[in-house]
Amino acid sequence: MRMAQADRLTAVIFLVLGLALLAGGYTMDRLEIRRIHPASIPGLVPMILGVLLSICAILLYRSSYAKAERNEAMVFTGGSWARLATTAVICTLYALGLVGWLPYFWATFIFTLCFTLAFSFPIGGARRAQAISLAAGLVLAFGVALGSSLLFEKLFLVRLP
Amino acid sequence: MSGLGDLMTGLGTLLTPGMLFHAAWATLLGIVVGSLPGLTATMGVALMTTLTYSLDSTSAIFVLICMYVGAIYGGSRSAILLNIPGTPASAATSLDGYPLAKAGRAGYAMGLATAGSALGTVAGVVMLVLIAPPLAEAALNFGSFEFFWLAVFGILISGQLTADTTPLKGYIAGLLGLAVAMIGSEGIHAHVRFNLGLSDLNAGIALIPAMVGAFGFAEVLTAMWNRAGEIATKKDSSDRTIPEMGDIWRHKFTIARSGVIGTIVGIIPGVGEDIGAWASYATARKLSKEKEKFGHGSHEGLIAAETGNSAVVPGSLIPAITLAVPGSASSAVLIAALFIHGIRPGPLIMIEQPQFVGLISAMVLIATVFMAFYGLTLTKAFVQVLRVPYSRLMPVVFVLCVIGTFALSQRMFDIWIMVAFGLIGFVLRQMKYPMAPLVLGIILGDLLDKSLRRGLTLSDGELAPFFTRPVSAIFVALIVASIAMNIPAVRRLALAPFRWIGARLNA
Repeated sequence: MRMAQADRLTAVIFLVLGLALLAGGYTMDRLEIRRIHPASIPGLVPMILGVLLSICAILLYRSSYAKAERNEAMVFTGGSWARLATTAVICTLYALGLVGWLPYFWATFIFTLCFTLAFSFPIGGARRAQAISLAAGLVLAFGVALGSSLLFEKLFLVRLP
Repeated sequence: MSGLGDLMTGLGTLLTPGMLFHAAWATLLGIVVGSLPGLTATMGVALMTTLTYSLDSTSAIFVLICMYVGAIYGGSRSAILLNIPGTPASAATSLDGYPLAKAGRAGYAMGLATAGSALGTVAGVVMLVLIAPPLAEAALNFGSFEFFWLAVFGILISGQLTADTTPLKGYIAGLLGLAVAMIGSEGIHAHVRFNLGLSDLNAGIALIPAMVGAFGFAEVLTAMWNRAGEIATKKDSSDRTIPEMGDIWRHKFTIARSGVIGTIVGIIPGVGEDIGAWASYATARKLSKEKEKFGHGSHEGLIAAETGNSAVVPGSLIPAITLAVPGSASSAVLIAALFIHGIRPGPLIMIEQPQFVGLISAMVLIATVFMAFYGLTLTKAFVQVLRVPYSRLMPVVFVLCVIGTFALSQRMFDIWIMVAFGLIGFVLRQMKYPMAPLVLGIILGDLLDKSLRRGLTLSDGELAPFFTRPVSAIFVALIVASIAMNIPAVRRLALAPFRWIGARLNA
């Protein structure tokens, strides 16, 4: 995707966000019942931010049509989508799923092991290389899970999730 | 002289075995974090904040300062050896550091970078000691009107200077940060705004989970997305790590100038080390007698870049301590850490804790000594650190992001915030939105909101005091000028007199 297209897409999102801020600020409780000064209503700054964000979004949309080098540049290129998707999925599953559902030690053990193996396990390699990779992953996962558990639970007195 | 006296008192407080032990491990860890591409100083400081809850306030702040100083310096390792800056602050370093490494002079390049960083930090510390007390005193006269414009100016200038492509994206990032700061109970009437029906949002979005997400998780994603660099392994037999004194002395003016530029850039809200390095590098190149060497292994260019980025560290602490306005993204986390440890940065700091500026200057100075020691002695070890595969390192970083965020208030909601900020932060970075104004917006949102509404209440709804009070008027003029300079015609008109003078001088 070219930067110009990406900018147009985000400009629309920011415009919607700006208008939502404006509407949210305008309809926000003005606390008349508490007889506050009308200039100190809680919705004042959100309304101003909404207007400014909307203006910036419109300017961004307009500038995306300018003949500039930056608009021709590609976004989300130069990296590996497979690595990104794997990282995002494993990390998100760990943070939003495993932690809190499993005891912290096991959640962290499973996450570290999966992460390490996903990126370093030699699928087409020799048995020996696979065994070494698996053993290294297990050792790292155990070390990280135990180390972080002890550090936070015993030293920082945090009740682990 | 009281500033120097406070610095000495600070050194006296910190020169104990326990404190030196903290400085030793935290600076080393900082260099390791900084040297790994993808892990930035801000992420290091944010993660370390979550690991220093249980320490007393002086030790905790000391550890964070050491991490900050070490990480900014550590970025030069990978910039020189891999041509990939460990932190954005070292981007300019790679221009001359990597050609030197490819020519087999990596050790000497690292030695020069160490000397430049140490001297830059010392220059910044001198300015911190000299500037912070009078600035805090001047800020005591600031009212709501001035603080409102200070917040606006900070976000605007940060957006303008840190944007990669167009200032518009910097402004949008700042506005998004301010919008995030609007969530939760507001500071005047305690009215809850935009909580979307979630009671967890009643207190707003805490800075640390947001920062750990935007700088921790987003950096894990970026590191895994990017391809690994190739280490320059060629070694010249004449290579050495200790730089020649003559080489340093020959560039004394570059060092002094870059130190001042770095510190000034540090003082400008939310601008940060990378801009300090680029500004110093560009100035050194412009004034150099050996312009043609820049980009091809120039010692002067390398020294200018490293002096410039390191001087930003103490420079950024000046507004952070005296105005509670961070000079860089890392100092924004430091402000949050100061609050966590019961220290209230702002104009009252010189009344409540008059020796704090001296103490924090001493912290930076001791961290610099450790940084220089490690930089000159552990060169080979740092090369080994760069060989650690990301498949082993990144899960450790992410585990710390998760448990560190949770430890702040021991609620799962903060982890969700961290993940959301990480994913959004990654997308925004890819689309060239700078993170510094976003962070500045989150931290200054409350100040801006309260100052505007308090000011309007004080003036009974009149806008005039926002424009007529002397300091406010100066801020307004600066803001208008900053925005107007984006218009090509205005910029041409404003720069015409300078071009005319330049042409006369050249003729």
